[in-house]
Amino acid sequence: MTSTSIPIPGYQPTLENRLWTFVQQALILLLISSITLPIFWMTITAFKWPRDVYSLNSAIWFEPTLTNMVTVFQHPWNLGNKILNSIAVASGAVALAIPMATLAAYAFSRYEFRLKKTIFLTVIASQFLPGAVVVLPYFLMFKELGLLDTRTALILINLSIVLPYAIWMIKGFIDAVPIEIEESALVDGAPRWRVLAEIVVPTAIPGIITAAIFSFTLTWNEFLFALILSKQDALTLPIGLIGFRTDRGDLWELMAAGGILITTPMFILSLLVHRQFIGSLTAGSVR
Amino acid sequence: MTTISLQSIDKSYGAVQVVRNLNLEIHDQEFLVFLGPSGCGKTTTMRIIAGLEHPTHGTIAFDGKRINEWGPQERDVAMVFQNYGLYPHMTVAQNIGYPLKLRKVPTVEHEARVLQAAKRVQLQDLLHRMPRELSGGQRQRVALARSIVRKPQVFLMDEPLSNLDAKLRVIARAQIKHLTQELQVTTIYVTHDQIEAMTLATRVAVMNEGVIRQIGTPEEIYNDPHDTFVASFIGSPAMNIFEVQTNASGMAMMQDQNTGIKAPAQGQWTMGFRCEDVKVCDSQSASLTTEVFTFELLGDCTMATAMFDEKLLTVKAAKDCRMQSGDPLHIKIDPQHVYWFDRQTGKRWRQT
Amino acid sequence: MKRIPAYVWLLAPALLFVAAMALFPLLYSLVLSFREWKLAQSDVPGQWVGLDNYWYLLTDDPELMESLWATLIFVGFDVALTVLAALCAALLLQKPSRMSTFTRILLILPFVMSPALIGISFRFFLNPEFGILQFLLSLVIPALDGRIWLADRWLSMTAVITSDIWHWAPYMTLVILGGLASIPKETQEAAQIDGASHWQVFKDVTFPQLKPVLGIVLVLKTVFALKAFDTIFTLSNGGPGTSTQTLAYFVYHTAFHYYDLGYAAAAAYLLTALLMICSFFYLRLIFKK
Repeated sequence: MTSTSIPIPGYQPTLENRLWTFVQQALILLLISSITLPIFWMTITAFKWPRDVYSLNSAIWFEPTLTNMVTVFQHPWNLGNKILNSIAVASGAVALAIPMATLAAYAFSRYEFRLKKTIFLTVIASQFLPGAVVVLPYFLMFKELGLLDTRTALILINLSIVLPYAIWMIKGFIDAVPIEIEESALVDGAPRWRVLAEIVVPTAIPGIITAAIFSFTLTWNEFLFALILSKQDALTLPIGLIGFRTDRGDLWELMAAGGILITTPMFILSLLVHRQFIGSLTAGSVR
Repeated sequence: MTTISLQSIDKSYGAVQVVRNLNLEIHDQEFLVFLGPSGCGKTTTMRIIAGLEHPTHGTIAFDGKRINEWGPQERDVAMVFQNYGLYPHMTVAQNIGYPLKLRKVPTVEHEARVLQAAKRVQLQDLLHRMPRELSGGQRQRVALARSIVRKPQVFLMDEPLSNLDAKLRVIARAQIKHLTQELQVTTIYVTHDQIEAMTLATRVAVMNEGVIRQIGTPEEIYNDPHDTFVASFIGSPAMNIFEVQTNASGMAMMQDQNTGIKAPAQGQWTMGFRCEDVKVCDSQSASLTTEVFTFELLGDCTMATAMFDEKLLTVKAAKDCRMQSGDPLHIKIDPQHVYWFDRQTGKRWRQT
Repeated sequence: MKRIPAYVWLLAPALLFVAAMALFPLLYSLVLSFREWKLAQSDVPGQWVGLDNYWYLLTDDPELMESLWATLIFVGFDVALTVLAALCAALLLQKPSRMSTFTRILLILPFVMSPALIGISFRFFLNPEFGILQFLLSLVIPALDGRIWLADRWLSMTAVITSDIWHWAPYMTLVILGGLASIPKETQEAAQIDGASHWQVFKDVTFPQLKPVLGIVLVLKTVFALKAFDTIFTLSNGGPGTSTQTLAYFVYHTAFHYYDLGYAAAAAYLLTALLMICSFFYLRLIFKK
């Protein structure tokens, strides 16, 4: 029994209640395993020799190796290059998105103007567009501009994907900043831009960071546009993963190694801000 | 020299009119208190003076110069907010110094003035703390210090004491009074607490529903109210206000009992008298007899309350008086301190 | 000259960008859907065919019909099971305890994993020879022994749905937990004092107050299910054949395998229309407050 449970009023430790608590705990364990076991399995696969991967006999008692982690950086997979691309694209998109989104979110939060609701809804609704309907025009557009297979193109695309989310989340955080401290600053003599830069942003910074990490995650994992719009130079990690599908079959141990590389940074980032992450995900959706 | 003049100020939010045709001249160095219940428009009026709101109609002028379009930054006013508005990510020193930083005051002078302001409110030992580490009273003093660190034309204070507990409130009230007298700056203060108004103000503007009902010194407001609203709003407990009818000889009758007071003229009147102007007495000399509803010991006096005409009638009595609910209550009203109001309009009748 | 209000400057960068990057392609796609353009035959958009693409799309294309059917099954089961699982998990984790705090942190992880990777992982787990999941499940359910998941229509669809649930249900659990936290405890405690059992408290007090959150979760999940692509691509490639080819995949397939661009644009707009219906419900729910 968990000793730190909060007592339920009227709880009697009868057999029925004890059984029920046991079932609940078992279910929670089931939940935990359903999340951790797949991750665990993929992780150990990355450290297995191919012979241990392609058969179940030595699945658990295997001889660990680091070769896979080394191989993925080599020719022809060059995951190192793809990591750099992913970092560049994600950083670029977030570095552009957050300032733009903060300005827009501030406007939506603190100002009243005609059509405000309509414009806000339109911006938010753009996250409902399927990638499929814009990928083709983008392809043609970037082809014309000679930007196919470049990081720039991917940064621009991801920027447009991420902006609605970022504006929505940051607006929520700016809404939570008490208006009085802004009014104090105005009365103290600060022009609007200083109020925003020196008062509002520092106060809302946890939320802005959360939005930044959320956006970074979206871009890091973005698949469809990277698939269509890049071919060689601008390939990002998710596409790198499918590169392990060869004519001879799927190289699972390398895919797993790639999987570790692509997932670990995201795990770390999201755990760093998990408290705000949870708060903002729920607040933004529930409003 | 800063005089503020408000001429024909209207303020509406959509269909709701919050301030109606407000006219007011605020004199240099006076301590003007806007007093009234929630929603009466007092905070809105002050925000209009600060530049945080703009009037829908009307003109506001500082020293004769029209400043309607000026933002708060340009008006050189300082404001203490109800919730203090402290910058959460700055230390106390940085909070106090922010107005100076905005005006690019050189460092040496900046630090000196911050220290001086902090000393004035006894905060010099807390300069490196963050707002979240401070108590309510300390935060309020930071807000005060921030407002005095530069020499503004006008101080604006929006219910600065309402978030403090009763004891702190008394101390803070004294501090504010002392500070504003020392600094000799025009001060505008908003509150719903009439005790604050009476103790701090040189003039009080009593507001209700967007209109100033009366403006005058605390003494004038208390002793010479213009109408029933002002009369019942000022004074704690509220003035006893009852509807009376004259009998054949012109005496005011409250519920068929002769009050012993002659009304100004025949007819129906609204009569008001304060609880300290009605005395408990014996059944012989009493003019009104009723029954004690509750009896309260207040330390320096006692308060007997009766239900009369479905309203509460309060009588202040000596501190050693003792009564119980249900006891008969005999009272006599002091004819020198009776207020007469028109039954229809609520306006005060004065002897001409 | 009238001063330009501040909010215009604040909004300009974001709005201009969105307009350029969203409106323009939308319009272009729309125009494209009225033309015929087979990339194999010509390098430039072909002639105007009006509504022919749409007509063919909705009446005569068996592959699209199959795709719509697959989409219906996918979205239907995916959304229903995800929300159900998330609700149960949220109720389980409601009571504060060390274990539930730990689990809540775990719940973020599937969401930040790349859906493409999740698809790859499940494909690996279901491999007929060495897939761990395939092995364990066939022990528990003998009927599955020897079956190749990705060669069977129904098993393949199950796999695709499961991997999407794995990705989204934890996040949805967190959202519902947030919703549960905002229900005043007094309402539940009052019911208990009145004599209600746990189930009755849930049915009569908790669930009604949870409905707005559940509504939002349902609509959001439907949107994401309609858009789902990465997992399907890496897990089943729309297969076997085209049996797990949802509308999103259909558009991709038509455009980049058949190179029938005008037609693909029309299909894309069909998908967009479905999504706009969902977004209408979503916005209505959000702005009811």
